[in-house]
Amino acid sequence: MASLRLQGLTKRFGDVVAVHELTLEVPSGELVALLGPSGCGKTTTLRMVAGFDVPTRGRIVLGDRDITADPPERRDCGMVFQHYALFPHLTVEQNVAFGLEMRGLRRPDVERRVGEILERVGLGGLGRRYPRQLSGGQQQRTALARALVISPRVLLLDEPLANLDAKLREEMRFYIRSLQREFHITTLYVTHDQAEALVLADRVAVLMNGRLQQVGAPEEIYHRPRTPAVAAFIGLTNLLPGRVTGRSGERLVLETPAGTVRAAGAPDLREGMEAMLSVRPEHIELDRPGEPASRDGVNRLRGVVQERTFLGSLIDFRVDVGGGVLLRVQGRGGAPQRVGEQVSVSFDTTAAWALPRREG
Amino acid sequence: MLRRGERVWLNAAVALVYAFLLAPIVIVVLAALNAGAYLRFPPEGLSLRWFVAFAQSRSFTRSLAFSLKLAATATVLSTVLGTMASLWLVRFGGRLRTTLRILLTAPLAVPGILTGIALLIFFYALGWGKTGFGGLVIGHTLICIPYVFLITSAVLVRFDQSLEEAARNLGASPFATFRRVTLPLIKGGVISGAIFAFVTSYDEFNISLLLSGVGNTPLPIQLFDYLRFSFDPTAAVAGTISIAMAVVVVLLTQRLVGLESLYMGGG
Ligand SMILES: Nc1ncnc2c1ncn2[C@@H]1O[C@H](COP(=O)(O)OP(=O)(O)OP(=O)(O)O)[C@@H](O)[C@H]1O
Ligand SMILES: [Mg+2]
Repeated sequence: MASLRLQGLTKRFGDVVAVHELTLEVPSGELVALLGPSGCGKTTTLRMVAGFDVPTRGRIVLGDRDITADPPERRDCGMVFQHYALFPHLTVEQNVAFGLEMRGLRRPDVERRVGEILERVGLGGLGRRYPRQLSGGQQQRTALARALVISPRVLLLDEPLANLDAKLREEMRFYIRSLQREFHITTLYVTHDQAEALVLADRVAVLMNGRLQQVGAPEEIYHRPRTPAVAAFIGLTNLLPGRVTGRSGERLVLETPAGTVRAAGAPDLREGMEAMLSVRPEHIELDRPGEPASRDGVNRLRGVVQERTFLGSLIDFRVDVGGGVLLRVQGRGGAPQRVGEQVSVSFDTTAAWALPRREG
Repeated sequence: MLRRGERVWLNAAVALVYAFLLAPIVIVVLAALNAGAYLRFPPEGLSLRWFVAFAQSRSFTRSLAFSLKLAATATVLSTVLGTMASLWLVRFGGRLRTTLRILLTAPLAVPGILTGIALLIFFYALGWGKTGFGGLVIGHTLICIPYVFLITSAVLVRFDQSLEEAARNLGASPFATFRRVTLPLIKGGVISGAIFAFVTSYDEFNISLLLSGVGNTPLPIQLFDYLRFSFDPTAAVAGTISIAMAVVVVLLTQRLVGLESLYMGGG
């Protein structure tokens, strides 16, 4: 197995900078998810790694080899395309055999390896079918088998689950994950679905407007976003502007329009700096008013319920906590609070995360 | 679903179209089987005597063979060139795409006789007085290219280029990608382009009229010369042979690639 390193990768299409100075490492055997909204340059990045687009600047290193200038057929990357790109004139077997034939394997070896991988992805009986005779999930697994059978040094996946229905998507997530672990294959996985990235990846790289925002373990990305944009993109969150006014032990003290809040914060935050406070709706609790003001470890604000939306297992509240701030809160299904009711809003100081207001 | 009344009208319209298309064919075939001495319809009794006359005429058999050789050569050349042109244009044409497309299809818009005159003047200017087979091949290839180009372009526009990328990704060289992926998938378009080219060349009159010479007479020119002096059913026999050939070509194509692939762009 080999690690994949992107160094200062930049791609311009005329005036559009699709990818800007992207430096990223996918360690050997790991799955890194490249996550970002539509148009942020994910596909472009993948296409540069596969050799379909030529980088304007930067290098791509696979293992100890610089592959930046290699043609696609000499890169040894297995790619799963968003629309699978299965050869319509070839059967499932022939599709999967294609890469092995191009490598000049002898017929019996090709047949054995194609048979093995088709069994492994659960397409044992379907080898003679044409792609158009397969369901979406089966096509997806054929595409995976075709990419895996050549034992590539790196596996590239471009939104592989985007065309499946919600239930199948969930199944395939775990399936891809277990295949990736089993083959222990270095993988770059492109997606705009943050849930998918968090579930699948060893590490998540968040890309926005062609710039890398943050790389880290899923928990880190989720709980400790480094920019407001990342915080807003990953999961639901409340973002409050504030100013750092001091420290209290481990915690920062912030002055926000809704009152004073203690929060964990990025290490580079100093007293006097403008900050953004992120509090996730599921970390906030609603109580009857009249509890004591903030004590150690818990922030407490007063508010009035403005909206209440039934979501099945959850109830989604919007609570006005003053200063023009509406907090989104998700309570258990049976939460009794009504619109117009006075409530006390509380969240742990560890659940509040302060990050610098300016990007980068 | 169509309602009953609508279906009756639709069937009637289709029947009329077929009658319109097939009537001349039926008339030519019947005229060729005429037992009488003149080209006319309805025939005065049936016989194969004019087929025998055709087969015995040196000038007719020679020009039939010449036409076939010419059409085959022009088909091969125009299919290769037209396909290459559309491959390039669909993919890399960029801003020149529209201009180049118009230029490539121009021979369709220019009357054949003008193309013929232009070629004749051109050949003379080059000092190629009597160009014979070579000149005819150039002229026919020129007017066949637009058909091949248009048909293969139509298939290529719908062609999903990520298939080629997938092939390269799996280790195929550009040439192997073309042979194993691109060509099989555009095969239908290329073959129907070739058929059009063959028929166009075989039927071509205007250019042949200007460029043919002694010993280089395609069948349509031979027919024309013949009909100026004699009006017997041998001409209809030539027509019948052309029709039979077209049927054979269509059947062969159907056997080889399946006629659907002409529309689907691949099996
Ligand atoms: N061939 C191209 N020519 C010009 N601009 C391009 C080209 N390919 C991509 N772009 C631009 O580059 C930017 C990034 O595109 P890219 O396809 O990488 O986005 P993406 O992150 O994959 O988005 P999505 O999630 O919608 O697939 C976009 O602004 C896009 O318009
Ligand atoms: Mg994309």
